[in-house]
Amino acid sequence: MTAVRAPAAARPVHATRGHLRAAARLLRLELRRNAMAWMLPVAAGLFWLTAYHKAMAAPPLWNLRATSMQKGALVAFACPVAGAAAWMGSREARRHTTDLVTITARPRWARLLTTWAATTCWAMMGYLGCVAVLYGVTAQQATWGGPLWWPAAVAAAGLPALSALGFAAGTLIPSRFTAPGAAIAAFFALALSTVLIHGSQSYWQISPLVTGPWDIGPDAGVATFYPYLPDLSIAQMMFFAGLTIAVLGALLLPNGPGGGWLRAAAATATAAGLLAAGTAVALAGTGKLDAHGMIAIPALHDAVNDRPVHYTPVCSGTTIPVCLNPAYTSYLPAATAALAPVLNEIAGLPGAPARISQAAATYQQGIGNSVRASLAGPSISGTPPVLRLLLPDQLLGPGMTTSALATALRASAGPAIVAGVTGDSPGASPAQHAVAAALRMSAGLPQSSPSAPGMQPPTATGPLPIPVRSAAQRFTALPASARHAWLVHHLAALRAGRITLAQLP
Amino acid sequence: MTAGTAPTVPTTAAPGRKAQLAWPPRAGIRLLRLHAASRRAPAAIAAIAACAIGLRIALLGHWNTYGALQLPLVFEAGAAAAIAVTTASPLGEPERLTGRWLPFLRLATALALTAAAAGALTAAGTGAHLAGGTLDVLRNLAGMTGIGLLCAAALGGRLAWAGPTAYLVVGVYGLQTQWHPPALTTPWIWPARPPHDLGAAICAALVFTIGMAVITARGARDPAGE
Repeated sequence: MTAVRAPAAARPVHATRGHLRAAARLLRLELRRNAMAWMLPVAAGLFWLTAYHKAMAAPPLWNLRATSMQKGALVAFACPVAGAAAWMGSREARRHTTDLVTITARPRWARLLTTWAATTCWAMMGYLGCVAVLYGVTAQQATWGGPLWWPAAVAAAGLPALSALGFAAGTLIPSRFTAPGAAIAAFFALALSTVLIHGSQSYWQISPLVTGPWDIGPDAGVATFYPYLPDLSIAQMMFFAGLTIAVLGALLLPNGPGGGWLRAAAATATAAGLLAAGTAVALAGTGKLDAHGMIAIPALHDAVNDRPVHYTPVCSGTTIPVCLNPAYTSYLPAATAALAPVLNEIAGLPGAPARISQAAATYQQGIGNSVRASLAGPSISGTPPVLRLLLPDQLLGPGMTTSALATALRASAGPAIVAGVTGDSPGASPAQHAVAAALRMSAGLPQSSPSAPGMQPPTATGPLPIPVRSAAQRFTALPASARHAWLVHHLAALRAGRITLAQLP
Repeated sequence: MTAGTAPTVPTTAAPGRKAQLAWPPRAGIRLLRLHAASRRAPAAIAAIAACAIGLRIALLGHWNTYGALQLPLVFEAGAAAAIAVTTASPLGEPERLTGRWLPFLRLATALALTAAAAGALTAAGTGAHLAGGTLDVLRNLAGMTGIGLLCAAALGGRLAWAGPTAYLVVGVYGLQTQWHPPALTTPWIWPARPPHDLGAAICAALVFTIGMAVITARGARDPAGE
């Protein structure tokens, strides 16, 4: 053994192990004495109210619950995390131990990073626990699809950034007012940043509360027929990673021992962090609403995500089957019951649809934050004909209960189905108007209702002329079998406009 | 020097009746000043002023309905948190044992700061479109201050900010549910109720009264070493 071989190789290994053991011990101590642990019940309670409660009120669709969770989780954790981090950052000054810890073997940067890491660890543990509960319950209720991890990852990336900002505030301004100030400022910045969003090309979409076009609320039609676009999520995570690194780097920059290498490393980290955050903001500004209702960022976009998701529809056992995306299985009984009266009226008629099938919506950016959603493609296609429709839940608007959805579906799709079969339209013949009105009456549908997007408009928005109304009432009074038999023989002529009111039975 | 030889202060320090009458108010003011300084009341007033200025500046901007409604709440929560953290005592047990006037001082400090916050925030909204108006400010501020004081009694003065800031999130969420059902209509979430709602006002007043009573009688739960 030579002098070169033995001691020189052994000492660094021992030193490294010792450093790691000491760092782990310090982290353990910080974890045991961290204020964030005491804030977890507060954060969990807020999560229950703002994220869990809200998500559970929505239908068991992964897209709705995951996007709702991203927003709710950040709102719930912002105040406790930023406040607790500021509280921990001001600990040395608050306890008048700054001089005492300055002379310990641990350098300032190591102490600060350990305290921040412990605070972030507690926040992350609490957050992951909350997400696990919400996703676990959703997994039991959802009928199709799987968890969306991008929204969960964005919220997770936001927590270290909030923690770093609060911690920096507490370290730099150690006062009893810093913690509440940091908590309020974090909430203010988070909640009100979205007010400045105008259109899909806004830089403010970098706000982690944004999961799609702002101001349209949760939309069940997004990320069901097409994959969830991670473009905006990637930009948001990049922003938060950059912000965290920049803040921590800036915190380690000022005075204290450590030498030039530490300053250089901290300055580099700060610059890199700022660059990443700035780039992410610029990328968010290039985003635009795509046809599937999500924000696409050209530089981050993967064309694979534009392909539709393959699925086997779930269908009812009715004469004319009603088929839905399997994610909407829970709606199938209600949708079938809502459309059954009208489907019974038209079943077996020439030209009647062989199937009613749920379709994807297409989205268009309007003025400001307004967005238009409509049926993608024709309402009737294929041989035998398939009638394609949107569920009211796929349209932009407030969330619906299952019964409200069924009522809205009957009011919008029912008249459209009748109009599609009879050829009823504003320019149709009086006989077509009368037969359509009769079928609507027989099926218990409203005589006037808003048209389903992309489908044939309703027959008449005003009252029908007296002769037409009389003919419709006469036709309705027929037994269902007689009505059906007449339609089987005369529907083609009726659609061609060759039947007069007098020829109606 | 023994106890027997020690000079008796009252006989030498009270030259006349006029001086005896003048002494207690001056001492009382000094006691009040020292108590306020120990609780960082001047800094709290500065924080309240900052909240009022922040609200005034924010009101200059153009906000949508939802933003305009939650804006005052954020600053009210800030002021309430500032009041709550002033309850932390740096003296702890010795002060509790010897301070005969301590409950009155606590009450006076909390009431004075609440009144200052109400005045400052109301003044900040004067001449601008303050959603909910003065009544809303008074109700929300009183309620959140009560929550902060209760938190101070339960958690300690320096962590008392957790109450108002957590309630801020609850209040903002309550406001949001008015647009996005299911709506939360309980009067205990008073920020989500209209300014003239009696139930919400009663709930906020109740919380404020209980908070004041508890903090007056018991003070904040602060360890002496803090």
